[in-house]
Amino acid sequence: MAVPGTDHEQPAAEAQRLGERLREMTRTRTFLIATLIVILALMYLFGALSGAGSRLMSLTAWGLMLGGVIALGSIGLTLVYGVMKFPNFSHGALVTLGAYVTYTVLPLLPDGPTLSPLSFGYEFLVAMVVAMPVVGAVAIALDRAVYRRLRRTGSHLVLFAMASLAMAFFLRSLIYLIWGPDFHFYYPGQPNPAFRLPLNIRVQGDQVFILVMAFVFVAGVSALLEWTKMGKAMRATADNPDLAGVRGINTERVIAWTWGLGGALAACGGVMYGLSSQLRPEMGFWLLLPMFAATIMGGIGNPYGALIAALIIGISHQVSTSFLDPTYGPAVAFVLMVITLLIRPQGLLGRDGG
Amino acid sequence: MPLLKVDDVTAGYGDMEILRNVRMEVAEAEVVALIGPNGAGKSTLMKTVFGLLHPKSGTITYKDRPIHGHEPHDIVGLGLCYVPQVDNVFTTLTVEENLDMGGYLLPDSQLPERREWVYEFFPRLRERRRQRAGKMSGGERQMVAMGSALMLEPQLLLLDEPSAGLSPKLVDEIFDNIQNINRAGVAVLMVEQNAQKSLEMAHRGYVLANGENRFDGTGRELLADPDVARLYLGG
Repeated sequence: MAVPGTDHEQPAAEAQRLGERLREMTRTRTFLIATLIVILALMYLFGALSGAGSRLMSLTAWGLMLGGVIALGSIGLTLVYGVMKFPNFSHGALVTLGAYVTYTVLPLLPDGPTLSPLSFGYEFLVAMVVAMPVVGAVAIALDRAVYRRLRRTGSHLVLFAMASLAMAFFLRSLIYLIWGPDFHFYYPGQPNPAFRLPLNIRVQGDQVFILVMAFVFVAGVSALLEWTKMGKAMRATADNPDLAGVRGINTERVIAWTWGLGGALAACGGVMYGLSSQLRPEMGFWLLLPMFAATIMGGIGNPYGALIAALIIGISHQVSTSFLDPTYGPAVAFVLMVITLLIRPQGLLGRDGG
Repeated sequence: MPLLKVDDVTAGYGDMEILRNVRMEVAEAEVVALIGPNGAGKSTLMKTVFGLLHPKSGTITYKDRPIHGHEPHDIVGLGLCYVPQVDNVFTTLTVEENLDMGGYLLPDSQLPERREWVYEFFPRLRERRRQRAGKMSGGERQMVAMGSALMLEPQLLLLDEPSAGLSPKLVDEIFDNIQNINRAGVAVLMVEQNAQKSLEMAHRGYVLANGENRFDGTGRELLADPDVARLYLGG
C-alpha cells in the first residue's frame, strides 16, 4: 500500500527484507553443503595447479582412511557430549591408549598368516577386540573417579571440561611412563603393500579395511541408538536427564554405557590410526581437533553426521598437503569447523532449531 | 492404610526451607488436590515425594515403606509415577518412544500391551505415535506426559499442574482424562492452579500456604469454606 510520505522508506525496507532473505538462504543445510563442495573442489583445483595431479587420487584414499579414523573417534565424542553436555578433552588419550594396548597384546598372541591384501594377520583383530573393552573400562573408571563426583556436587560444565583436560594429560603421562617416548610399530619392518587400481590409483588394503570398519561401527551405533532399549535411554538421557530419572531410567548406568561405548570406539580408532603410521604418545592428542571438528560439523549426537564430516575433514586434510605445507593440515579441520559454525551451527545433520 | 503418607516433612534448597512440617495423605483410588498461592511449596512437595529433593526431616512412606531419601528411578518402580509441570516429555523422541521410556522398567514383551492401554485413554496419541513429541501442541504433550507415566500401571499418579498453559477447552479435556484414569482405579495427587475445578473433582484437598498446611478437608468442604474461598478461590 502506497502511503504518501513513505515512498523514500520503501526501498530501504525492501533492501532490509532482501538482506533477511539472503541471510535465511545462507543459513540452510543446502548452502552449507554447497559451500563445502566448493571448498573441496577448490582444493582439488589448487592441487592440480601445483602439479600434484597424479597424486590427488592417492591422497584422497589416504584422506578417506584418516576420515575413518577420525569418525571412529568422533562417535564417542558426540555420544559423551550428547549425554553429558561437556567436551571431553581426554578422548584423544583414549585413542592413543587403544593403539598401545593393541601393541602390547600383539606379541602375546601366536602369529597367524598375513591376511592379504591386509598387512596383518588374525592376531591383530584379536588384539583389537581385547583393546576395545579395556579402553572402554578405563573410560568408565575415569568417570567413576572424576566425573561422577563432579555430577554429584552439581558442578558447572566448565569444570567437567577442565577435569577432562587434566585427565588427558594424566593419561598421556601414564602412556609415557608405561611405554616410553619412543615410536613403536605393530609389525616393525613389515611392508604395507598397495594394489593398483585403474587411473594409476594406489590403494592399500588397510585403507579399505579402516573405511569399512568406520562404516560398520557408525551403522552399528546408529542402529543401537534407534532400536535398542539402551540406545533409546541414551537419547532420552541426552534429551532430558531429570525426566529420564523420573521415568525409571538409571541415568548413571546409561552414562557408564556411554563411556564404555565411546571409549571402545576411540580405541578402535586408535588401533586403526596405528596401522597407518607409527605409535607415539601424542598420536591421539593431535586427532582431538579434527575429531571435535567432525562432531560439530556433523551435528552433535549424530553418528552419521560425524562420519560424513570426518570423511570431508580427512580428505581436505590430505588433499591440502598437495599445495600447502603439511604442518598446516590441522588448520584445515579448524577452518571447516568455523565455516560450519558460521553457516549452520547445528551442523550438517543436526536438527533445525536445536 | 493410606497409600502415600507425608509426615512432618521439612524440605528446601540449600539453607532455604520451602516446606515446614507438612503432612498429607492419599488413600487408594482417591483424587487429592493440592492448592494454594504461588510459592506455597506445592511443586516442591511433589518433588520431595518423588525423590527429586530429599527432605531435611520427616518421613514419606508409600504403602508403609519409607521412600524419603530414595532416588526417582528407585521410587518409580514401586507404583507411583510423576508428571512434572514443565519439560515432561522427551522432545526429540517420538510419542511411541516416549511411552516406551515410561515403561523402561518393564520387559520389552509387555510394552505393546501397555501402550494399547494408554492409547485407550488417549486415542489421539495412537494416531500420532510416530511423531516427535517436540512437534506437538501443549495439550498433546500433556497427554504424552501422562501416558508415559501410566505405562508402569501406577497405583498413584502425581500430576504437577496438568492444565497449566492450556486453553479452556483443553483444560476440560485434560480433567476428563484425569477422571477416566481415576475411574480405572489409579489414585491421583495433583497440584492445580485451577483450584475451583480441581476441588470439584477431588475427593479431598489440602491448602498449603507459605510451606505449611493451612486447611484440609473433602473437596466439597473446602469449596464451601468461606476462608478458603476468599483467600484461594478468588470469590
